[in-house]
Amino acid sequence: MSRAFMSIDILVQVVLSGLLLGGIYALVAFGLSLVYGVANILNIAHGTFLAISGVVASLIYGATGWHPLLIIPALVVPVFIFGYLFHAALLRPLASRGKHEETIGTVLITTGALIMLSDVAGVVAGTKQRNIPVRSEILEFGDIFVSVTQLWILAGIVALTIALHLYLKHAWFGRAVRAVTQDPLGAAICGVNASSARALTFAAGSGLVAVAGVLYAVVYPVDPYMGFSLTVRAFTIIIIGGIGNLAGTMVAGVMLGVAESLTAFYWAPKWAPVISVVLLLVILVVFPRGFGSWRRT
Amino acid sequence: MAADVTSKSATLIGAVAAAMALTALPLLVNAYIVSFVFALLIAFVIAQSWDWVNGLMGYLNLGHYAFYGIGGYAFALLLLQGTPLVPSFAAAVFFAALAAAVLSLPIFRLKGDYFAFATLTIVPLCELLASNLSGLTKGSEGVTLPPNYVLIPAYYIASALALATFATTLYLMRSRFGYAMRAIRNDEQVAEVSGIRLFPVKVITLALSAAFAGLAGAVQAWQFSFIDPYTMFNIGIALVPIASALLGGSGLLFGPLVGVVLLASLQQVLLVKLNMLQGAIYGLVIVLIGRFLPGGLLRWRAVADSAAFGSLSRESHFETPALQGGSRGDALPLRVEKIDRARVVLECRAATMAFGGNVAVREVSITIRQGEIVGLVGPNGSGKTTLFNLISGAYRPKSGKIFVDGFEISNFRADEIAGLGIGRTYQIPRPFGELTVRECIAVGRTFGRARASLFDAMQSAEVFARFVGLENRLETRADLLSLQEKKVLELARALACEPRLLLVDEVASGLSTVEVRKFVEHIREIRDRYGVTIIWVEHIFSALSQVVDRLVVLDGGSVIADAPLAEAMRDEKVLKTYLGHAPLEAK
Repeated sequence: MSRAFMSIDILVQVVLSGLLLGGIYALVAFGLSLVYGVANILNIAHGTFLAISGVVASLIYGATGWHPLLIIPALVVPVFIFGYLFHAALLRPLASRGKHEETIGTVLITTGALIMLSDVAGVVAGTKQRNIPVRSEILEFGDIFVSVTQLWILAGIVALTIALHLYLKHAWFGRAVRAVTQDPLGAAICGVNASSARALTFAAGSGLVAVAGVLYAVVYPVDPYMGFSLTVRAFTIIIIGGIGNLAGTMVAGVMLGVAESLTAFYWAPKWAPVISVVLLLVILVVFPRGFGSWRRT
Repeated sequence: MAADVTSKSATLIGAVAAAMALTALPLLVNAYIVSFVFALLIAFVIAQSWDWVNGLMGYLNLGHYAFYGIGGYAFALLLLQGTPLVPSFAAAVFFAALAAAVLSLPIFRLKGDYFAFATLTIVPLCELLASNLSGLTKGSEGVTLPPNYVLIPAYYIASALALATFATTLYLMRSRFGYAMRAIRNDEQVAEVSGIRLFPVKVITLALSAAFAGLAGAVQAWQFSFIDPYTMFNIGIALVPIASALLGGSGLLFGPLVGVVLLASLQQVLLVKLNMLQGAIYGLVIVLIGRFLPGGLLRWRAVADSAAFGSLSRESHFETPALQGGSRGDALPLRVEKIDRARVVLECRAATMAFGGNVAVREVSITIRQGEIVGLVGPNGSGKTTLFNLISGAYRPKSGKIFVDGFEISNFRADEIAGLGIGRTYQIPRPFGELTVRECIAVGRTFGRARASLFDAMQSAEVFARFVGLENRLETRADLLSLQEKKVLELARALACEPRLLLVDEVASGLSTVEVRKFVEHIREIRDRYGVTIIWVEHIFSALSQVVDRLVVLDGGSVIADAPLAEAMRDEKVLKTYLGHAPLEAK
């Protein structure tokens, strides 16, 4: 093995890009964590929401040349509304059915949405990969190169995580959401409208994924069909990090991102996606009720 | 009245007609239609074999398509290396079933959503492996078989496979094994307590479903003569057979078939009529099914209530002949135990159970002799139900030992303990909700100590139902019963297991005075007439005191009194913690 291949500079470089990737994964996972934890919905189309957001963001960028920071709000609001309506029209009515039918209904609806959204986006925008080619200054630290954009994105993710954490911890709605996660009936008895909390959470989860979609498109190429593999990663992350646990999700996301970067660089890029799947299976098998059950005991 | 299209003779006629139609088809129509029917048959095999795991056993396996891909790959790679056709097909079956068997060890540790999560990832994992392990699988280029026009032979194999799939479904729905699957779907714990050994049922079901899917993949690969990771493990396609089965009605005999025919026809129409957005419309249809018909088309009220199609929505396909005159007596068909009062049936030695730091049962030592009726009482949270859970094998004791007939059973599984003749009821009734009263009782009868054949069990269920007063509800779904009816159904199911020791957990609470009196008579009769030993947990002390020989009183997980009824009722500790004193002024 050559010396350059093993050098510490390159290792740092690879870990840095893994950090960024992991941060975006964590953002995707936050949304899913909220949706699964609060609304109790196994949203198979979650990653597809990101893929479509990313494609639309790149289309907006291509048409208007707006700064991504401007695209984010322009995209988040409609996606939030879309999420709310999606939940209200399709998923909420399932709650009146039996447990098994509810699970099956959720799987069907979110799977159908995955197929539908990908296909519509594929027809409208084409199946090719696109991105948001923002030009960016490169900072040099010795032999390590870091783009300013990437640093901004990392900082944005950290700020968003902290804001989300504070909101869930202290704001009334955040507390209501946590109450519904822990015990829907108890929360309802205390006056929380669980059904509307769920719908808003689903909408918020979708909005978060739109943010992640824009950031993703700035750094990596997106296409309408890439969504499902992101959903798998997000599941892995929330199961490692604990459902509804933001800090744990962040750590798990970063771990997965770094692990994938290292695998891609030191082994082969084609093996990187395998990590999340294998990790998910191994963790589920060792801790059948999720990682959280292990931490509590 | 419309003829029952699911009766045995109708099924036979239907099967012969279907076989003849499938045989004649290639002679009558062009290759295009034959290839469409071929695709239909393959889709049916995948959807139906998936539904054995979901519809009958209740495990939502989202990774079923992977077995189809594994079968396709095993077949294509072997054929390419010059292996003859038949062994290549056999290998497809073998490797798919093997993958399922290996996978079931870890995967059945998971329940509900987590099971669905984990299985969902298997398809993309297989796709990655198939494209990455290019030395073995030729990677993303795929495997190209020597071109050969095999549509017609492939069509006949697929026809035979589809008929075999349907026959297997019918067999499962009418067999003892199938009832084990359905009991698991309804309530795994109660299934185990009723004597069903869970794990083999799950492994066999998953492996069976994988074998059929694997063969379907092989036939498809042979017909198409090309496979690649994308077509064999495509997640977008992977969920389509599942959606088809759900569209028709998961768990119903004709559900997957109806769903596959409808969805595949729709897809065909879309392919012809539209040159784009087929996927979107297809997805929309799946969304609408999920939104409006999660129980499936055949469970839709308009279908279920119609004269022509009503029998398609039938859940049960076991035809129980009427009881013969001879067995119409009211005696329960139980082996009568000769009571030997000296014989120890159950002994707990310092049995202890703790959850985290909370000790629910603390060094309980009790001895139960044959033919006794022992009342087990104590305040709420004193450990009565936990003790039942220890004895029946739902929990294993943290320390201490439990003996039945002198054999230690501390580490036995619940089904083994049921097989030794320990039956129990649940305080909150847990019937197999989607089964009829008759079927619930029959499950206990066929898997419990009696080990009756399914036929006998279904017949004799009537006697047990009559014993507890449910004879008019035999064909009613158990989840539609009232609470009182569910409670006596618990007793009937537990009795049908043919226990020697019956653990009765608060059956009388919530019953009217008359019903309680009747219930006390039942308890007495079960002991006097059939020699069953009974431990009865009950808060209605007046009921208990009419029939028990001895009282065991628990408090805080420990035995505070164990004495004949009269003596225990005078015990100072028992009065203080449980029975209470009459107010002094009243004396």
